[in-house]
Amino acid sequence: MSFEEVDKDTYVVLAPEGKFNMVAAPTLKTRIDDLVAAGKARLVVDLHKVDFIDSSGLGALVAGTKVARKQGGDLRVAAAGDQVRAVLKLTNLDRILAPYATVEEALHDW
Amino acid sequence: MPPNTGQQEANAIAKSVPAERYDRFVRLAQALFGAPMAALNLIGNDKQFTVSSVGFPKGEIPVEDSVCHVTVLEDQILEVRDLREDNRFAAIPAVVDAPRLRFYAGVPVRGQSGQNIGALCILDLAPRTLGPQQRQLLGDLGALLEYELTVQKEMDLVGQVQQLMLPASAPDIDGIEIAGRLHPAKEAGGDYFDWMVVDDPANGGKRLQVVLGDVMGKGLSASLFASEARAVMRGHAPFTDIGEAVARTFATTGRDFEANDRFSTLWVGRMDPITGTLDYVDAGHGLAIIVSKDRYRRLDQDYLPIGPLEDTWSMASDFLAEDELLIIMSDGLFDVVDDSFGELEARLRLVYDLKMSCRRIVDTLVTFAISQGATDDVTVLAIRRIAELDATTQGSAAGTT
Repeated sequence: MSFEEVDKDTYVVLAPEGKFNMVAAPTLKTRIDDLVAAGKARLVVDLHKVDFIDSSGLGALVAGTKVARKQGGDLRVAAAGDQVRAVLKLTNLDRILAPYATVEEALHDW
Repeated sequence: MPPNTGQQEANAIAKSVPAERYDRFVRLAQALFGAPMAALNLIGNDKQFTVSSVGFPKGEIPVEDSVCHVTVLEDQILEVRDLREDNRFAAIPAVVDAPRLRFYAGVPVRGQSGQNIGALCILDLAPRTLGPQQRQLLGDLGALLEYELTVQKEMDLVGQVQQLMLPASAPDIDGIEIAGRLHPAKEAGGDYFDWMVVDDPANGGKRLQVVLGDVMGKGLSASLFASEARAVMRGHAPFTDIGEAVARTFATTGRDFEANDRFSTLWVGRMDPITGTLDYVDAGHGLAIIVSKDRYRRLDQDYLPIGPLEDTWSMASDFLAEDELLIIMSDGLFDVVDDSFGELEARLRLVYDLKMSCRRIVDTLVTFAISQGATDDVTVLAIRRIAELDATTQGSAAGTT
């Protein structure tokens, strides 16, 4: 899976596309690990182009959140579609990955 | 002479493994060599089993009438330009009579035991020879097929091990009818369920504990986490309440989940069959439901799944009435009703029948999910309380597929 990446210096926006599943998840997670290791621990995952997420995709987001928080940052998700919101809610992962309506909202205190 | 390990394995595979798995290798061999016939022959102690073939009949022949039974004696390709010119084969039926085979080239294939169990062979009705590159190619095909055989066998074994980790009999407690079924999407998977009888640490007396977990991902790797989570929960459960048991399961397994970017949803319930009091913890699972004639309620909480992040898991309490049915499922079933609780409720209404056994309810729901093309592991547990009078006649074991 390809994903867009925009580095705004104080934060980085990652925008995966299509199916965010067991094929795509490790690529994004590896990139998150690299960014956090390089000191970029404020991350927004823009999900507006993701039409489907499975548990592997969720796993990458949860693990990415943990990694970012350890370095004093955070991972926030924005612009999630209905399916993504539904699985976040069912698994209660919306408690740590509160879905923001837009990337701008996700940035509110950064 | 008793069959050796390779022959035993050949016998077993010939009887149990669907031939479609090997058909593509045989088709490839036939096409690559432009031969009219190709086959995978497994060599048992007294029979040769042609389990996959092109242009050649499948089935069994006496082992002494086969060429491949000689091929498996050596660890190299056997090539015979004209079978009529080889004393070992000149008189066998397939050479003397139809189809009057002339050319044979076969590569031995090892089984999981490391012994040769059969051969992938190409056959022709006219004498011919293979060039060095063709011999190399046949060897490569044999190696690929061998890998397929052993990997597939390993996967099948993992699936068997996982099924054997499910409860094998009804829990030893009165007043409960229970059934569960797990249908993995692949040979093995990340779903698991368990039940056991524990002593209530607070009030004494017997409680039925049920667990349903869903490790993210599918297949072999997910099954490793499923067995870890199951074992750790089993280890903690007898000594504490279920909230604490879940917290300790996190404490023990969290590192492993974190190291692998994984998590597991988990629903744990503990019920007193006499009073119907039902304590439960919902760790991000969300798919436990009590159904009755006119009511439908979810037993869910806000806790996170077991994984990289800590939470404060503790139990809630509900009550299962005697005319109610507790259904716990994995999202493999939820997915086929479009992740809609409305649709799910409608589906559960169809199985809410006091005369239908839990076994039947579970089978009906799992079969429904499979028929709808479920792509994930599907697990369903059904539990209800039964009157003491019926308790002696209504034990129900877990069945699995």
